[in-house]
Amino acid sequence: MKSILKQSHILVMAGLFLAFNACSTSNSNEEDLSLTPINTVVIDGYTVKLSALDKLETGDNYLFWELEKEGKSIDIETMTVMPMMDMGTMKHAAPFKTPKRYKERNRYFEGMIVFSMPSGDMGSWTINFTITTKDGQTIEGSIEVNIASSWRFTSVKDKDGKGYFITWAKPSVPKMGNNNLAILVHTKESMMSFPAVSDAEVIIYPFMDMGSGEGHSTNFTAPVSKGNGLYEGSINYSMSGTWTTSVQLVVANDTLPEVIFEYSVKAK
Amino acid sequence: MKTIINLFLVIFCLSTASIAQKRTITVLDKMSKEPVINAHIIDGDEKVFAVTDVEGKVEISLEREIFKIHSLGYIESIIVLKETDDIIYLIPTILQAGQSVMVYAYGEKKANIKDYQSTQSHHTLDHFLDNIDGVAMIQRGAFGWEPSIRGQSDQRMNLNIDGMQIFKACVDKMDPISSYIESNNLSKLQIDKSGSSVAENGNGNSTINLISKKPDFAPFSLHLTSGLRVPDQYRVLALNSNYATETTAFQVSGSIKKADDFSAGRGSVIPNTQFNKMNLNVGVKQLLPSKNSVEVNFITDKATDVGYPALLMDATKALANILRVQYNWRDTKAPFQLTTAMLYGNTIRHWMDDDSRDVTQREVMRNMHMPMYGSTGTIGSKITGEATALNHRFEWFLNGFMSEANGDMWMISLDPNVEDMYIYNMDEIVTKNVSLGGRHSFLLSPSFLVKIEESASFTSLGTNSDNYASMFESLYNKAYAPRNRMLFSGSATAIWFPKDNWSLSLSSIYSERLGNHIELFGHYIYNYVDGYFYDGNPWLKSEKSVNFELNSTVEVENHSLSLSVFHKQYFDYISGKEVSDISNNDFQFKQYQNLGEAIMLGGEVRAINRFWDNLKTEVRASYTYAQNTTLNDPLPMIPPLKGLNSITYNFDTNNITASMEWAVAQTRISKKSSTESKTDGHAIFNLVYTKSLFDGSLSAIVEFKNIFDTYYSEHTSIASIPEAGRNGMLTLKYHY
Repeated sequence: MKSILKQSHILVMAGLFLAFNACSTSNSNEEDLSLTPINTVVIDGYTVKLSALDKLETGDNYLFWELEKEGKSIDIETMTVMPMMDMGTMKHAAPFKTPKRYKERNRYFEGMIVFSMPSGDMGSWTINFTITTKDGQTIEGSIEVNIASSWRFTSVKDKDGKGYFITWAKPSVPKMGNNNLAILVHTKESMMSFPAVSDAEVIIYPFMDMGSGEGHSTNFTAPVSKGNGLYEGSINYSMSGTWTTSVQLVVANDTLPEVIFEYSVKAK
Repeated sequence: MKTIINLFLVIFCLSTASIAQKRTITVLDKMSKEPVINAHIIDGDEKVFAVTDVEGKVEISLEREIFKIHSLGYIESIIVLKETDDIIYLIPTILQAGQSVMVYAYGEKKANIKDYQSTQSHHTLDHFLDNIDGVAMIQRGAFGWEPSIRGQSDQRMNLNIDGMQIFKACVDKMDPISSYIESNNLSKLQIDKSGSSVAENGNGNSTINLISKKPDFAPFSLHLTSGLRVPDQYRVLALNSNYATETTAFQVSGSIKKADDFSAGRGSVIPNTQFNKMNLNVGVKQLLPSKNSVEVNFITDKATDVGYPALLMDATKALANILRVQYNWRDTKAPFQLTTAMLYGNTIRHWMDDDSRDVTQREVMRNMHMPMYGSTGTIGSKITGEATALNHRFEWFLNGFMSEANGDMWMISLDPNVEDMYIYNMDEIVTKNVSLGGRHSFLLSPSFLVKIEESASFTSLGTNSDNYASMFESLYNKAYAPRNRMLFSGSATAIWFPKDNWSLSLSSIYSERLGNHIELFGHYIYNYVDGYFYDGNPWLKSEKSVNFELNSTVEVENHSLSLSVFHKQYFDYISGKEVSDISNNDFQFKQYQNLGEAIMLGGEVRAINRFWDNLKTEVRASYTYAQNTTLNDPLPMIPPLKGLNSITYNFDTNNITASMEWAVAQTRISKKSSTESKTDGHAIFNLVYTKSLFDGSLSAIVEFKNIFDTYYSEHTSIASIPEAGRNGMLTLKYHY
């Protein structure tokens, strides 16, 4: 009955919406973006604004860059970034994707960084950037970012001590029902180089621990490589609550130790 | 009922000592609309005081409002004449054959093979149904027994109240629809075991239709019932009343029942078998100047603190609100005629939890509490009428309903470090259905009738929740869309009367059914019979069945015998199939699949004999053999050969009935599709003594059941919960 009433309500609202939109126009492809401001720096009169889909945390983060001068948006031609963790005695970078224009004619440049550790006593994160405007101006600088800890990132080493970063990209907020699963795999070549690993086998096993030694799995599709370190599959969560998913990488016939992601699944 | 009628007849006979005015009524054949000649009009002393003429007409005193009409070849009718009645229709006996009609009444003298009288109206409806041959009750405790006909229950049978579609709210089947009506607000039961009433029901499933009491244009009446049973302290207080003016009738019935835990044979108390229940049924009927009428009926039912020892949980509250508005047209013989139009709506809500259980020791879902809630809401209409086409008169039925079902469960661990878990068992599941059916009767000769019924229905089942739908998409790797199906059913019945009192009928029924909302869209639903968690399958194929039933009935004045045998075959039989890749020792999962074929065959016998007008014997027995022929495995929850034998003796104002309920051992148990246990046979003995006082206005009933305190359980009792041991009950009934 609830949805019968809801359907009637939706029909009325849809009618009103259509009537309203018949008299208005849409002029933006940014309307589906809901961004959280992260930080802003001013360099040579240019204001560099950094936003993200949510607060930054360990794991993959999609970052949106925009440039303004005297309150007006400035078109960015190209942009490069380098995330940097300063731990005092040492520095290291993190896996990232170079920012590119977010949809055609949009003022945002979108990039992705996999932050491998949270900000805190161990060190702090900055992102060094170089922006070239359409009129040939170059703006260089860095912007500080604060990274919170999350369940979505972990790492493992193979028998030779080579490190692999495993990022739970999707779903960031798991919900009951079928969820598309995306896992990112990177490896550590040097302190500044973290290339994607696209030829691994990713073995997963989701499990609901219901306490008292009881629990069960649910149906899922094992992730397969889509290139650039991205592996896609799905998990069908049968209930809300705390779930774990074990992930095991097989790289060049070497089965790495199992890592566990533990997270909360919401009802809706 | 008989006592009431007799009282009325006496009153009216006395009051007609001086006949002042007369009125003329016409008695017609219901089917042919031809006059019924020489029909006997009978008063309360069983004396014929008038006979219809060649036009079916008869003059009757205006004061004479209640009488019987008897004519060979017609069902005897008790008439309560209204001011507006000019025509009375008699139903040919031949039309009644082939379909079981059970009347829930008291004191019928005639050995009517189709009437089942309750001698235990103060008990629950469940006990009454359990003793009808061909019907068995699936039990989860002392309350809310679930009827099954010939081994078919739930989705494979129709269980309606006044023809309304009502969906239970509890996914654990705690609340079959029969739990929302009480014996004292029940007028009668219509039981169609074969499923031949395809046109009216929209499918060929076996059907129990619970007909509630309606306002009657009869003198004021008041019935009060009070009873106490030991040792379970079951107490009941019930009221029925009817009041009518010339054009408006009112009816109210209500009851309050409460019971503590019962004791099984040899004295062991069965915990969690208590219940508490309130039921109210009110109705009003208005006659209109056009001789049409409109009636409104409302049933509300509330059960609280209901224990279910066979389940992990108990029901804390169950609420039902059932509203029906019906318009009745008088018979006009028009080429296209509306007979009734009914609009209805109902809501069922059900809460349960395990707060009173020790959750640390159970086999599944240990160390957590699991409060559950379920609800259904249904609106629908049912329109019936008659029509003439190509000189052929037929009945038509147009039904439609829309229903939404929701159910969820919390899992709250005793360990505070474990996050609460939540699950949807049903999320915004919507069922829509519209069906059109026709019923045709062809009287090929005075002793040979053929009935043909057909139905076409459109059913749509789906969920309005995208998240919920995505679970099934993932389970079956298919894109979700609501399941829409056209379903067809039909039946043909040939009835032959070799002699006036002997009928032979053969029915064949073809039926299709889409799985119900739980078979298609249920999620994580625990089956207490096999211990598996079930997921629905929206992509099930329709299940088909072909049923044949042969019935022979002999009825003479004081003796009757009815024998039925049937054979039913299912195709694309819907059942659970294990999902091994996610099952483990603690949690085992199944999904509904079409698992080949199944057969059910068996029969029932019923014999009633009356001797010297004060001694009556009754024998009922039924048997069903059910087998999944694809898996070569017996179907689960099939009752063994069982029956009831009784003998009743009347003298003066006393009535004594001794009965024996029996069942043989059930050794045919399901091992592949379920995990049943064998059940021993049993026989229990009961005794009922009824004393009428003050000219029948007060009755005292003393009953002893399971006199020898036998410890036993029915095969259809989940978890083999034993039945009640020796118990006694005193009931007082008063009527005005």
